[in-house]
Amino acid sequence: MWQAAGPATGKEKDRVLSTANTQALPISVSHVTKTYGAVHALDDVSLEIESGEFLTLLGPSGSGKTTLLMVLAGFTRPDHGSLKFGDREVIRTPPHLRDVGMTFQSYALFPHMSVAGNVGYPLRLRNVPKAEIAERVAGALETVQLGGFGERRIDQLSGGQRQRVAVARAIVFEPRILLMDEPLSALDKKLRDQMQIELRSLHEKLGMTTVYVTHDQREALTMSDRIAVVNHGRIMQLATPRDLYEKPANRFVADFIGDSTFLPVTRRGQQIVFEDQPLNHAAPAPEAPSLLLMARPERIHLLTGTPQERMNTFEAVAQQVIYQGDSYLLNAQLHNGEIMSLRGAVRQGTVDGLPSEGDRIRLGLAPEDTVIIDGRES
Amino acid sequence: MQAADTPQRSYETPVPSGMNAAGLRRDARLERLKLFGLSSPALLLVLVILVIPVGWLFYVSFIGANGQFSLENYERMITRKSYARIFVTTFQVSLLTTGLCILIGYPLAYFLSQLPSRLASLCLITVLLPFWTSLLVRTYAWLVLLQKRGLVNDWGISLGLWEEPIKMVHNMTGTLIGMVHIMLPFLILPLYSTMKSINRDYMNAAANLGASPRRAFWNVFFPLSTPGLFAGSLMVFILCLGFFVTPAVLGGGRVIMVSMQIVSNIELFVNWGAASALGVVLLVLTMAILWIASRFLRLDQIAGGGH
Amino acid sequence: MKRLTILTVAAGLLATTALAQEKRVTIASWGGSYQEAQSKALFQPAAANTGIEVKEESYGGMSDVRLQVSSGQVTLDIVASGSGSAARAAAEGLLEELDYSIIDVSDFYPGLYTDHCVGGDVFSTVYAWNTETYGADGPQSWADFWDVEKFPGSRAYRGTVAGALEPALMADGVAPEDVYDVLGSEEGIERALNKIRELRPHIAVFWTSGAQHAQLMKDGEVDMTTGWNGRFDNAAKDGAQVAYSFNQALLDYDCFAIPKGAPNKDTAMAFLAEISKPEYQDDLPTYITYGPTNKAAYETGVIDAEVAAGLPSSPENAALQLPVSLAWYAEWETTAAEMYQEMLTE
Ligand SMILES: Nc1ncnc2c1ncn2[C@@H]1O[C@H](COP(=O)(O)OP(=O)(O)O)[C@@H](O)[C@H]1O
Ligand SMILES: [Mg+2]
Repeated sequence: MWQAAGPATGKEKDRVLSTANTQALPISVSHVTKTYGAVHALDDVSLEIESGEFLTLLGPSGSGKTTLLMVLAGFTRPDHGSLKFGDREVIRTPPHLRDVGMTFQSYALFPHMSVAGNVGYPLRLRNVPKAEIAERVAGALETVQLGGFGERRIDQLSGGQRQRVAVARAIVFEPRILLMDEPLSALDKKLRDQMQIELRSLHEKLGMTTVYVTHDQREALTMSDRIAVVNHGRIMQLATPRDLYEKPANRFVADFIGDSTFLPVTRRGQQIVFEDQPLNHAAPAPEAPSLLLMARPERIHLLTGTPQERMNTFEAVAQQVIYQGDSYLLNAQLHNGEIMSLRGAVRQGTVDGLPSEGDRIRLGLAPEDTVIIDGRES
Repeated sequence: MQAADTPQRSYETPVPSGMNAAGLRRDARLERLKLFGLSSPALLLVLVILVIPVGWLFYVSFIGANGQFSLENYERMITRKSYARIFVTTFQVSLLTTGLCILIGYPLAYFLSQLPSRLASLCLITVLLPFWTSLLVRTYAWLVLLQKRGLVNDWGISLGLWEEPIKMVHNMTGTLIGMVHIMLPFLILPLYSTMKSINRDYMNAAANLGASPRRAFWNVFFPLSTPGLFAGSLMVFILCLGFFVTPAVLGGGRVIMVSMQIVSNIELFVNWGAASALGVVLLVLTMAILWIASRFLRLDQIAGGGH
Repeated sequence: MKRLTILTVAAGLLATTALAQEKRVTIASWGGSYQEAQSKALFQPAAANTGIEVKEESYGGMSDVRLQVSSGQVTLDIVASGSGSAARAAAEGLLEELDYSIIDVSDFYPGLYTDHCVGGDVFSTVYAWNTETYGADGPQSWADFWDVEKFPGSRAYRGTVAGALEPALMADGVAPEDVYDVLGSEEGIERALNKIRELRPHIAVFWTSGAQHAQLMKDGEVDMTTGWNGRFDNAAKDGAQVAYSFNQALLDYDCFAIPKGAPNKDTAMAFLAEISKPEYQDDLPTYITYGPTNKAAYETGVIDAEVAAGLPSSPENAALQLPVSLAWYAEWETTAAEMYQEMLTE
């Protein structure tokens, strides 16, 4: 095991950093607010992140993700609120004493240092002996599959390699918390997919509490233990990827994650009805002044024969069919004018045999897929 | 550059007869010609205003008092010790001015670079204000402020800070004060723009990795600001080498720089050669310094090329 | 018909150019209160009386003339110059010879005109002192100027060699009449320089212009300085606490010369003849305390006795002074200047 730095010496007495990392730390954010003039970058955010968890902050651009991450790292001072790493209140701790690893959207690799210089920098700051630095830097580079790149200059690296160096630098001192701000947003899709898997397995290996920021819902769904959907500085929903997709708390979340068709529905006694048609739904409907039926396109069936029992059916007129490679999208107009989209797999490389424009069709939705959500925006 | 490279390579391709190859080649050549054509007036201007006068300066410096080729103008600089001393003074004043400018200008530029943009540009205008008043006026203003019965001595004595008037002018001190004041903007401008371009993420990253503000500054910010520091210092140093007005007015005749000696040589000697030779030596020394500095700068650019 | 017109026009043009050439001169002097005095006393009245159109400029000295003559682009017809630099310029061949059948110098003091430069005014290089520091009993000789025990205080001294060596020798005990003999060798020059080295710790400023030494006294920056008498009178008029003495002062003169190849040489000669007349020279002391070079100027009644007594060239004052030797400057100035520079940079 790596040793903790010795007792602070005169010059460095303001800073006692540990290099030991035996376990991850939980993070507790409560009532954190940050305003920029009239803009609420963070609006009374409370969030419990479990020890060792991979939590993703997901939201559109400008929603406050970076601001929250900067509060965690200590670069942004909130107006008020509390922040705890484990039992320790850190809201007023300066960033260099927080002992959290972080990767920046811009990578922020020091251009005047080599790869090894960058990765070894946090260890140098912790007065780790030279030989040990070399060893640990090599180890960290090995972990991100950049063994032997130590002497390279930063400007000789590709985008993906820089990303890995940034990760190596953030983990080399074994922080118990790792923050990542849109680490993959600058990479092309292939590399991004590969890095998603690598980062996830790195997390499994090292086990530190990880807060990950992205605006890419697929990335969030792929990587996270839990996802916090952020909008206008508030947390819309905090849930596992599955719950988020299956049971979005409100229209914003449902809209932001995946494609969906929303139909206005009303509560009539015990029943939920759409255009006088009572709906069968598996999960209970929320208590809310306005309700919506959320239908995911891939869950909608194009009915040809008799529908299964309890399946909700909708009469519609087919519109155009959109070929999308792996799937097709069929838009259909219900008699109240609403458009419902249906996604189906493309088989035998053809979309022939699908209804053509103007055909009367029938759409089916199983009760499990008939999700009633709070119709309010947030 | 890139555009000019690519067609060039097409000359060497084994299939010169591809579709439209000849026409495309011609286009590329025309484009290069056009580029040259566009820049040729500038090249000509450089030739006229730079190369010819400098050439003439070299030529004249080898003409002796009798109008014949002679090395006497250079010999004089070796035999008369005063010339060596004047060059030493010149370099001394230039170095000290540059050093003081760095000491004062670096913190100032750093401060400005950390201010919000609008406030920073306001402050920058204040820094640049000296540019807008005449050099002579500024220099005489210092004379008035710093002389024996000047404002500074008057206040200092009446406040009881010191008893006898302090000699702040008509010497090296006065010269340096005046020159630093005039040169400061030349250091601050390039330095400020370099500092402004340093991404804040670098400092945040350093802090995040555990660097105290002081260490983050020395390990990260300072190295990244050195290109601007180099450029600014070099500019100040070289401008100082040729300075005339300020040392002449504030030096009290006791700080003699090369430019002042050039003027007295013009008045003293029958031929222009005596003054020209001084100019040549100053030019050569300056070029040597630039050359050495450029090697440093290039090294630095390699190290700092990532941003 | 057409040809005739062209001829007439051409002839007309020629005539006007010739006429303009005859009626115009360009004069360059040192600017400031000195040139203002020259302009009011000499140039403007002479222009009015002769009908010669005068264009005045200020210039940087004989190096400007050298540039014009060597490039063949002479624009100046008359230049005002110190006697020493005029002598050197003449030796270099930069000046036209003056025609003393046109310029009447019969009443001039002897030695105040040369083949190439005719005297315009007489001035003195004196020592001046702050009357607040020393009262009326200021230094009375160069030896006093050097005596920092008796007259403690800071000095200013000339930053170039002209008029700088003679005082040092006199302070060192050389009789005025022997000064130029002693200076006639490098050892003699070195002796003068050593004397200046002795005073150097007390020399706060080496001045380079008349405006500068006047300002130094006005501001009380130094307690004693060498300098040109007229500047001190003007400073005193402005309220400066300054007095000076003619004892052991250096008597020198400024003169007018015509650059070689001057465009209006003949007009210039006529103009010099005009301004050398006593009726112009007698006005000069009204504007600056420099004396006329033409003795007859004292007899026109314009210069009253009191003014005359204060002028460098008045007989009593002139008797106290050492006239500057142009011959010495012509032979030794370059060498002496280099040695002076040596001393300054130590
Ligand atoms: N330094 C700042 N000054 C003013 N407004 C800011 C600042 N930083 C962020 N904001 C604002 O706060 C909101 C949230 O920003 P941010 O956290 O960067 O969003 P995200 O990272 O989700 O894209 C945005 O409206 C943004 O304009
Ligand atoms: Mg962001």
